[in-house]
Amino acid sequence: MARVLLENINKKFGDVNAVKNVNLEIKDQEFVVLVGPSGCGKTTTLRMVAGLEEITEGKIYIGNRLINDVPPKDRNIAMVFQNYALYPHMKVYDNMAFGLKLRGTAKHEIKKMVGETAQVLGLDNLLDRYPKQLSGGQRQRVALGRAIVRRPEVFLMDEPLSNLDAKLRVQMRAELQRIHKTLKATIIYVTHDQVEAMTLGQRIAVILNGELQQCDEPLKVYSQPSNRFVAGFIGSPPMNFVGGKVTKKDGNYSFESESFSIPVPLEVDGQLAGYVDKEVVFGIRPEDIWDVPSSAWIQQKILLESTVDFREIIGSETYLYLKVGRSQLVSRVNGMCNASSGSKFGIVINLNRIHFFDPASQTAII
Amino acid sequence: MNLSYYAKKRITDIIISIIMLALLAITLLPIGWMVFSSLKSSTDIAIGRVGLSHNVEGKVDIRWQNYVDMWKNVNFGLYLRNSLVICGFTMFFAMVFATFAAYALSRFKFPGADLFSNATLATQMIPMIMYLIPIYIMFVKFTMMTGIPVKGTFPGIILIYSAWFLPFSIWILRGFFAAIPKELEEAALIDGCSRLRVFWHIALPLAMPGIIATGIYVFLNAWDELMFAWVLTSADTMTIPVGIRLFVGNYQNRFDLMMAAATVATIPVVVLFFLLQRHIVRGLTAGAVKG
Repeated sequence: MARVLLENINKKFGDVNAVKNVNLEIKDQEFVVLVGPSGCGKTTTLRMVAGLEEITEGKIYIGNRLINDVPPKDRNIAMVFQNYALYPHMKVYDNMAFGLKLRGTAKHEIKKMVGETAQVLGLDNLLDRYPKQLSGGQRQRVALGRAIVRRPEVFLMDEPLSNLDAKLRVQMRAELQRIHKTLKATIIYVTHDQVEAMTLGQRIAVILNGELQQCDEPLKVYSQPSNRFVAGFIGSPPMNFVGGKVTKKDGNYSFESESFSIPVPLEVDGQLAGYVDKEVVFGIRPEDIWDVPSSAWIQQKILLESTVDFREIIGSETYLYLKVGRSQLVSRVNGMCNASSGSKFGIVINLNRIHFFDPASQTAII
Repeated sequence: MNLSYYAKKRITDIIISIIMLALLAITLLPIGWMVFSSLKSSTDIAIGRVGLSHNVEGKVDIRWQNYVDMWKNVNFGLYLRNSLVICGFTMFFAMVFATFAAYALSRFKFPGADLFSNATLATQMIPMIMYLIPIYIMFVKFTMMTGIPVKGTFPGIILIYSAWFLPFSIWILRGFFAAIPKELEEAALIDGCSRLRVFWHIALPLAMPGIIATGIYVFLNAWDELMFAWVLTSADTMTIPVGIRLFVGNYQNRFDLMMAAATVATIPVVVLFFLLQRHIVRGLTAGAVKG
């Protein structure tokens, strides 16, 4: 296994700058997820690591080896594709053995390695079948098996679960984590699905418009997004944003929008010092807006009056779409909450979890 | 009439079947006529008798003998061999070159790729006969300058046929290669293949139905080609379409033997077609959708 280092990576397709100055180090045995909306450059980045796209500028290292000009076959990597890309004219066994054969591994050795991998993935009795005779989940396993059997230094996965149904996806997520643990593999995983990113990644790298926005542990990215885009992309329903001004009265900072005002806790108000009387964007996650009965434990809070616009019932929880003055906020409350649309509803905002963003640069202030 | 949806559908199906059968009959009629005529006497054909005549013993006169005589009357065995050699090599060369060219055109971006692509198509817009005289002159002049005989040789006609069928083959095969998902080749590149190995292990096997279908199409067209063969082959290298004409000439009019020879000439083609029918149908439809 090995680390992967991306240094100032740029990719241009004609005039389009698909990947801009990405710097990222994936440590040995680390599971890093690249996440972002479609067309953000995450797959292009992965394909550059794979050697399927030329690097316009910058350097990529696997281990300590500069691989910019190394052909894919010599990079000692394996890739799992979204559409599995199994060789349709080969049986499962040959699909898995193909890479080993090309590397001149002895026949009995191949048999042993394929057998072992097949067992790990539960493919033992499918080895004689052709890909078209397999279900989607089985194909995905074969694609994984084909990658694993070669024991490459780095695994690259390009949305490997997005063609599976929801139940199978959850199952495969667990499987991937197990594989990561047993193989002690370095994995770079691309997805647009934030749930996959949060659950799988030891670190997640959020990419937008070809730029790396933030790379950190999932919880850190979630609770301390580095900018408004990351804040809005990670989390579902997304974070609420309300524009307004910072004011300072008698030494106390508060946020004033046209609909409501919120006092800023003392612990963090120093960071707003430069923004007094200036525009900021206030952000609060839906789960940090509480109904009054559940909010007793919160120490720093503020109560606001709202009107329920409509609600989405999930079962375990309910999303309330609320009107506070002219602003709309989404709140995630307990599934038992029976606020009906049109009714008045008191909400409590947890002041320890508020965010502020600079409206010009979009970066996080708090 | 108040018919249910399914009743209407059944009636439509029947009508379509009848039309199809009629079309099939029209297509098969000349072939049936050919086989039927090959069993008649030359006199019956000459006087335009539709049915079979009766011989002296009062039996229906079926001339199986025509199938024996045809080999003696003209050197049909030689023509058959020549046709097999010429068409076989033509198919081989056209497929080898077309496969490489089509793969390159479908997978690589290089300056002039589109121009080349369109140029191959443009060659098909010029009638074949326009090439005849220039090629004839080229052959003669080449021999005059170098002393190497071309006209009337196997390499000469094989070269012309291969060149003639190449653009069409490239065009068809390009569609087959383009239909192979790119990820398969990328997976193979990562698995350890060089570009050439990707072509050999992945692209070629997957395009094989298309290559076979195209190859057979080329073979059949070369098999039937008369104009170039007539001008560019000699007595030793004559193909069936040229040779068969010798049954009708200054000194004889053996339409009966000609029909027998034509029937025999059809057999290899029909056998080939039925053996590989699956590939041809699959190939043609795949090309149609993705080409």
